[in-house]
Parts: sequence; C-alpha cells; structure tokens
Amino acid sequence: MIGAAFTAKQQKSKRDPGFLAGAAITLTFIAFAFVALFWTPYDVAALDIGAQFSAPSPGHWFGTNHLGRDVLSMIMVGAQTSISVAFLAVGIGLVIGVSLGLCAAAFGGFVDEALMRSGDLIFAFPAIILAILITAIFGATATNAIIAIGVFNIPVFARLTRGAALPLWTAGFVMAARTAGKNRFAISVEHIFPNLAHLLIVQATIQFSLAILAEAGLAYVGLGAQPPTPSWGRMLAESQTMVSFAPWLVLFPGLTIFVFVLGLNLLGDGLRHRLDPRRERGL
Amino acid sequence: MARRLTSLFAFLMRTPVAIIAFCLMAAPAIAAGALNVGVQLEPPNLDPTSGAAAAIDEIVYANIFEGLTRITEDGSIAPALATGWTVSADGRVYEFELRRGVRFHDGESFDAEDVVFTFDRARSTTSTNAQRIIFERIKTVTAVDPLTVRITLNEPLGAFPIYLGWGDAVIVARGSAATNASHPIGTGPFKFKRWRKGASVTLVRNDAYWGRRPPLDQINFIFIPDPTAAFAALMAGDVDGFPNYPAAENLALIERDQRFQIVFGVGEGETLVAINNAHPPFNDIRIRRALNHAIDKQAVINAGLFGYGTPLGSHFSPHHPAYIDLSDRYAYDLAKARRLLAEAGFADGFSTTLTLPPPAYARRGGEIIAAQLEAVGIDVRIRNLEWAQWLEQVFSNKSYDLTIVSHTEPLDIDIYARADYYFQYQNENFNRVISALHETSNTAQRNKLYSQAQRILADDAVNIWIASSPKIAVWSSDVSGVWANAPLQANDFTKADIANRAPVLAAKATKSAFPIFTVWLIVAALGAAAIYFSRASPTFLLNRLVGMAATLAAASVVIFLLIEVAPGDPAAFMMGLNADPESIAALKAELGLDHSALVRYFTWVGGLMTGDFGVSYTYRVPVADLIAERFWVSLPLALLAFVISTAIGIPAGVMAAARRGRPGGRAIITAAQAGVAVPNFWLAIMLVLIFAVGIRWFSAGGFPGWDTGLIPGLKALFLPAIALALPQAAILTQIMRTSMLGVMDNDYVRTARAKGLSHDQVLRRHALRNALIPVLTILGLQFGFLLAGSIIVENVFYLPGLGRLVFQSIVQRDLIVVKSIVMVLVFIVILTAFFIDLAYGVVDPRLRRRAAS
Repeated sequence: MIGAAFTAKQQKSKRDPGFLAGAAITLTFIAFAFVALFWTPYDVAALDIGAQFSAPSPGHWFGTNHLGRDVLSMIMVGAQTSISVAFLAVGIGLVIGVSLGLCAAAFGGFVDEALMRSGDLIFAFPAIILAILITAIFGATATNAIIAIGVFNIPVFARLTRGAALPLWTAGFVMAARTAGKNRFAISVEHIFPNLAHLLIVQATIQFSLAILAEAGLAYVGLGAQPPTPSWGRMLAESQTMVSFAPWLVLFPGLTIFVFVLGLNLLGDGLRHRLDPRRERGL
Repeated sequence: MARRLTSLFAFLMRTPVAIIAFCLMAAPAIAAGALNVGVQLEPPNLDPTSGAAAAIDEIVYANIFEGLTRITEDGSIAPALATGWTVSADGRVYEFELRRGVRFHDGESFDAEDVVFTFDRARSTTSTNAQRIIFERIKTVTAVDPLTVRITLNEPLGAFPIYLGWGDAVIVARGSAATNASHPIGTGPFKFKRWRKGASVTLVRNDAYWGRRPPLDQINFIFIPDPTAAFAALMAGDVDGFPNYPAAENLALIERDQRFQIVFGVGEGETLVAINNAHPPFNDIRIRRALNHAIDKQAVINAGLFGYGTPLGSHFSPHHPAYIDLSDRYAYDLAKARRLLAEAGFADGFSTTLTLPPPAYARRGGEIIAAQLEAVGIDVRIRNLEWAQWLEQVFSNKSYDLTIVSHTEPLDIDIYARADYYFQYQNENFNRVISALHETSNTAQRNKLYSQAQRILADDAVNIWIASSPKIAVWSSDVSGVWANAPLQANDFTKADIANRAPVLAAKATKSAFPIFTVWLIVAALGAAAIYFSRASPTFLLNRLVGMAATLAAASVVIFLLIEVAPGDPAAFMMGLNADPESIAALKAELGLDHSALVRYFTWVGGLMTGDFGVSYTYRVPVADLIAERFWVSLPLALLAFVISTAIGIPAGVMAAARRGRPGGRAIITAAQAGVAVPNFWLAIMLVLIFAVGIRWFSAGGFPGWDTGLIPGLKALFLPAIALALPQAAILTQIMRTSMLGVMDNDYVRTARAKGLSHDQVLRRHALRNALIPVLTILGLQFGFLLAGSIIVENVFYLPGLGRLVFQSIVQRDLIVVKSIVMVLVFIVILTAFFIDLAYGVVDPRLRRRAAS
C-alpha cells in the first residue's frame, strides 16, 4: 500500500497541476514586470485628474486612483519593485548564508559555533520589528528594505547549507578528494556545493515568496520604495481610506500580492517534489 | 510539601495569565454622558507652555488651561482670567485686572503671584516654551496687589494681548507646573483625569469652575492617526466626531449619512511648497517665479486636498480682514515658466529634491507637484521623511531644496522676518514692515502693514503658496456647541453638548502601574514548574541558561548600537515646528543626551534588570508603565490569535493527513496554500470593510479598555486576532500535516493498524502525539511572532498594543522606549524558546534527562 502510494506520488509530480500553475503564474509576473520596462497601458507618472476614481472598465481594467493613474499599469510597474527587492534580498541571503554555512561545515569547532550562535541571535529578533527599525533609522529606501529583508535570509541559508553539508563531509567522494590533497575550501566549492544546489533552489523559491510579502508589509507602513516608484504595499496604504467608494484600489493590489505569492509557493512545492522528494517543508 | 508546591505551580501554569490580569482590573463600566472626540495626533505631553506641538493645545486649551485673555471662535480676543486691562500711552506697560474667586483644579487659589510665576518661568533662560521669543520681550512682571498684575515690555508690542491668549501663555501654578506634562492642573472648566498612552486622554467636568457650568460630564480624546481608521471609527460609532477630519476623500459618503453632520469652518492652515531661498538655484528670484508659474494650484487642491481649499498667493488666511487675494500673481503658464528658467540659465531645467513629511496632504500633493515641475523640465526626486527627520533635516538644519508643509499658527506672517528660519529668506524691506507692525496696536494701521507684507512676499516669490484649507469637522448629528472655525489649533468644548446621553457615573480610581517584580516572580515560577516537569538534566539546564544569557547580552549590544547611530534628534522632534534652537538645547540637557554612549548603555542594562526602564522621551512617564499598559492588549490579542490559529491549524493538519489524496484532504491543502499567501494587513482591511463598515457586527477598531468589561474587550480583539491567526493557521496546517504523514509511515503505526485498531484510533493514540513534537517548536515560534509581529495589524485596528507602541516610538524617535520594547520582545522570544525546549521533556519521555548536546 505504501509502495503504491509512493509511485502514485512520483507519477503525480510529473504532471503536477500545482507546479504547472505556480510556474505559469511566476513566469507571467516576471513577464509583466519585463514588459513594463518598455510598455504599460498608461504612463504611470502622468496625472489625469479628470479621470480620477474611474471604476474598472474596458479603458482601465483595474480602474484609476485619486490622481487618475491607471491601477493596472501601476501594478505592472510595481511588479518590478517587488521582484527586484525580493530577488536582491534573497540573493544577499543566498550568497552570504551559503558561504557561511559551507565554512561552518568545513571548519567546524569554534567557527561553526560562532556562526550558528550569530544565526540564533538574528532569529531571536522579531523580524518585522528589526526590519522597521533598520528602515526607519537608515532611511526609507528600497535599498534599506533589501538589506533589512536580506539579513533575515542569511541564517536561513546558513543553517540549511551547514545541515546538508555536514553529512557530505563523511561521504566517500569527499574522503577521496581529501586523500587526493584538496584543501577544505576547494572541496566545499567543487564537491559540497554542487550537491546542495537542488536544496538551495527550493529554499530560495520559498524565501522569495516570503520576501515579496515582507516587501509589501514594509511598503505598506511607508518604509519601502518611495514615490513616485509604484509599489504594491504602498498602493494599498494610499488607497485604504478610499476603500468605501473605490474598493478596486484595495482589491487589485491585494489580489496581486496574493496570487503572486501563491504562485511562488506552488512553484516551490513542485520543485521540491521534483528535486528533493525526501525533504519536507519547514517554516 | 515540595510535591504540593509544584502542583500549585502546575495549576498556575494551566491558568491563563490573561485571566489573572482580568481579575486584577475588573471594574464597572462607565461611558455614557461623555463626548468621544477623535484627534489625529497624540500630544507628546500635556503642558502647552513647554512644547510647540499643536496636539497639546487641541486637548488642553480653554478646556484645562486658561490664559489672561482668550481667543474666541471668530478669532477675536476676550477676557478670561483677566477681567480687563489697560495700556500705557507708549504701549509698553500693561496692567491686568484679575478675576476673583478662581481656583486651580487641585484647590489652590489663583492670584497675581501665579501670573508672575508663569511669565517669569516662560522667559527664563531654562525655559522650553516654544514662544520664548515673545516672552523675552517682557522686561518686568510684578504683582501690584493679589488681583492686579503689571507687565512692562522692552519695546511696544501691539499684539501682546493676542499673544497672551495663545496656548503658550496659559497660567500655571507654582506647585503643579513641574508635573503639568503628565498631569495638567489648570483653572478651566474641565479637569484632567487620565491619559492612556497611545489611546486616549480623559477630562471630566470641573464642578468648581468660576464660569458657566459646561454641559458635558466628560470628554474622551481618542487618538486615531490613520485616515482609514478615522473613517472606520466614525462609521463604527467609536467616536462622536473629529474636530479636524483627516480623510477628506470620504466626505461625500458621510454627507449622505443621516447620522452625521459636516461642519465647514475657516482654518488657519496655509499649505505651501517651501523653497530654500539660500540654496542655488533657488536664490535666483527668476527660478522661484518660474516654479510659481509651473504649478496649477487648482489641480493640486483637487487631487491632493480632494477639492477642499482656497488658492493662495501669499502667507495669509483669507478670513482675516487684512487679506488680499494674490492667488493670480503668478498664473499657471508653462511657457512663461520655461522662459524664466531660460533667462536664469536653466533652459534645460535642473535636478532637485522635494522632501515630504508624513501627512496625506504632503505625500499626495508632492506627487502632483513633482509631475507638474517635470513638465517644465525640472527633474524632481521625492524624499519621504518621518516628522522627526523632517524637523531635524528641513526645519533645523535647513538641508533641503523644496518641501510641502501646512503652517497652522494664526497671523504668523512674521516668521519670514526671522533670520534663521528654514525658508532662509532675507529682505530688509520686509523686516521693517514687521517691526512697524510690532510697534502699533492701531487696527487700520496694522491691516495696512499686513497687506504690504503679503505683497512683498508674493513679489519675491518666497514660496509657492498652494491653498488655505478649511477646518472640516465631522460630528454625530446629536452634537452641538462645538467650534466651527479654528482661529487657533484648539477645541474649546466649554459649550459643547450631546443630546440623549445619560450622565457619567461616579469616577473610579485609575489602575496603578504594573510592578516589575511580579513579572520576574511569574517568570521564575513558570520556569521552576517547567524545569521540574521536564526533568531535564542539570548540565542541559546550565548549558541552556548560559546560552540564553549570552544571546540576551549580545542582543542588547546589537539593539543599543543600532539605535545609537540613529540620526534623529528627539529633543527637536518633541519641541515641534516652531521651537527655537535654545529651547531644543535646554531640553537636550534635561534628557541627558550629552553623556557618553558607554555610560548610557550600562545605565540602560542595569535599569532593565531592576525594572527601571527609564522615562519615555515623549510621554514623560516611566517606560515600564507604558509597556505594562500595552502588554495587556498585546498579550490577550496574541493569546486569542494563538488559540484560533491552533484550534484551526492542528485539526485541519491532522484531517489533511488522514484524508491524504482524497478530495477533503486536497481541499484543506489548497485552503492552506491560499492562507499562507494572504498578506495579513490586506486581510485586516478586508475584514474591516466587510464586518465593521459593511454589516457592522464588530467595531472597526480601537480598544475600549478592560475596565468596560471582558466582552467588549474581547470583541474589540476578535477581528485583529482573526487577521493575525488565519495566515498562521495555514502554516500550522501544512506543518501538522507533514509531521503526521511522517509519523504515519513509521513501523509502529503500521503495527497498530495490523493489530486491528481502526484508522481513527491509530491516528489518535499513536500518530498524533508523536506528530505533535516537532510542531511544538513551530507553536513557540508562532507565539513570539504573534506577540511581536502584530505591528501592522495593530495599526490597521488602532489597538493600543506593544506593536503600535514600538512603531509609534520609532516614528517619534523615542529611543528609550524603542530600545526597551525591542529588548522585552527579544526576551520573550528567547524565553519562549527555552520553555519549548523544556516542554519537549514533558511531551516526549525519551528526551528527559538527556545530556547537553
């Protein structure tokens, strides 16, 4: 029975509808952000006070805001902000976290202890509060939002890398490389890292979706990218007071965040089934 | 005996701490007969003579404190504590006749000595009075007899009786002046009763008032900073109205609603684009004129102020007799603007920065201004600042190009004559007009000078004056007797009344501050109980305790370092817009900001241990009291959200695992997938829209306080708890399912199934308990998250909890509060982790007596 369930699961993941939907949603959003570099239905900087608060219509699919700006165009351009902030934040976590994790696994002892305890320290801080603190103190800019979110990604990747790298150090092929006289650094880069890549891809997808949510939250409290750069979180904050007569201003940016994050999560789960069937998802 | 003690601890452990809290502060409900007034900004303190924040006057002026004269609703001047006055022929000596039989709220009688004390204090070198510059014109102030005061000025000051009607000149008593910041004592028709930080200030009628008895029993000023929350609070009936309604965009909707009246009055606010006249290229008048021609004021008013505003052409309020309409001085003319730019050598435009403070008019107006300037080739970068940063960088340091702000002080055109003012404007001609103005009290003469001053400013195109905004008040239709106009930023409720309200019952005592040692005791008791029941080995315990201490120490250093590099200046922020640098310096010394960082660090850490968290910079009350007060909102909220999240997440996860691969299981997984992806603040807004604005089952926000009873309190926390809990429940569902599936693949489960137990029996007896073990860690993490991470949700629902306190404090640069709260939250997170570690021992006997590893 167990065996049957296992093969069923394997077969399902081959044509996993969740994975396909996730991949489609993610690619669509990236495509939107890319297209918005060259073209949007309306110019997001231009004002059209005469057309303010237009309800969704064929002319403005998602309506217009208090400045007469087209909500769909703003969401498209906002995708660039969200994606680039999240991408760079996860990138910071990935590069620094993986390096630290590899070092901890390679050298052990004091280095390992110090690195892991620093990770605990970061985890002890309520993430949102530290992010707000960082952006409030060093200024509310997209760069600081990236740093604030990135800091929390470092220990995530460091732990994952260390945990997965440790058993590899006792594996036969690493032993062989050590006997051949390779140093720990070279082994980490040439042998350990390639064997972790699949884990990291899965985790990065999950972290990416969390970073999208975090960026939206920071922008919502006014600590993300600043105007006139459109951003989903700020669109929500700005239009909150108008929700009673222009609900589309709150509905569409919120749905956008929701669908994108959902898509990324589906993609992450699908990737896990394909690349790493043994590991199940953590927090 | 020991055994019995531990079972007592166990009992305590099982009793939710919150219930104990409720018992401690249960009290009868009072609310009727009171007027609930929504105000946008919470004042930093309640002493109008030591800070410039308009939010102070909005509460205390004419209600708690009175001056010798008072400004009436139409902007004229009337006697108050002085029944009349005379001026000498040279305009330098004023003699005031004082009112007989007036008493301060603490029973002290009022006489000439109080007046002398008040003005001597205001003009002393240590004075933090925001208008010290005016009081310094006083040469001597003497008590001729108990009911007569003589004031001699250095030079004539025609508007002196008007200035004495300002909030900065109210009369305070010698015995209570020092504590007025937190417990104001005046002579007015209402007495101060209570200030719940971050939530409300309560005043009650002064039955010993010298004047007419005010109709209201009680006034509750409720702080609602967010325009959305303001609208929601109005709709939900949480407030009876707003003297200054912050969300003009909803007015059309409110107008249609029978329950409300909208009162349009004349306001003193001049909203303007300030230009740094000393910064190139703005030192060139042609550039400033070009900017004026490039702005379409009406478009800015329509989009930034939602159409509520009269276009302005100079720094003067249109309701004043001396006003001249200069709004057409620079017509909206892009060609002319470009020509002027070209003449000044900037045919291709230039780059500049537009700095914006937080209010909606600035942020919304800024985008339009930037777009309009870009149309004539000026490249505008927008920089958004919090008030503290704005006050420091723009107002104090004058490091800005352009900014948008509203000046709300009445008749303040003389600020353009101040040498070091942030406009950096210099014109001898203008200064002469202002000096002449100070020297005459003849109305016709003064009005003529005012006209001249307006013209000079307009000709020099010092700033781009956009609009004079009306004062828009929204009141419940049964409210009467409130001010329509705002000659100064105050809300005189002496004559205000509200129909159909029962009188307020006898006042009850306010609750005392929460003692820190009780906290330590509870923590120690819980710790002892947990240690006992977990039967952990001493080595393991020691290891964990040392680790915990080290993490706490490291965290405190990180927090301190992070905050000490903050560029803001709390003193400048606290003093507000019109403060002079000397007052700021005086406050800085008072706050001890001149000590070295090392000294401040150790003072702070030492204080944390003993419960002395310091005194809040802005609220001027002990931080421990502030935290304790907010804790009783955040803790019940977190517990409620935790219960909801667990009650949904665990069964849903188990069910999803039990029905793996079947439609029911798949439905749960899909719902959980969706739940994880919902931003909780969006969920919160949607919940308010549906359940509070739409079908009105719940209040849209705010917190009535536990003293109104358990049910109203829990009701106020319900929607926020749902918004917090649902995304967490979704995560929990996924983890619980995964954990269950992992366990169900084990041999012992198969054995149990094989020996004939039903599927459900196996799940319950064998799988569930084992599957719960890894979930414990997540529960611990979630509790910390719920307690600390509710900042955004608490802001949407304007709950006076820890999350909102920390956000407000960060915005207000109240470093002491920020440091301590973050430290307390970190402490809770680390402590929770410790308890979870020990709890493994309780749940999983295999892990007891384990060695440290």
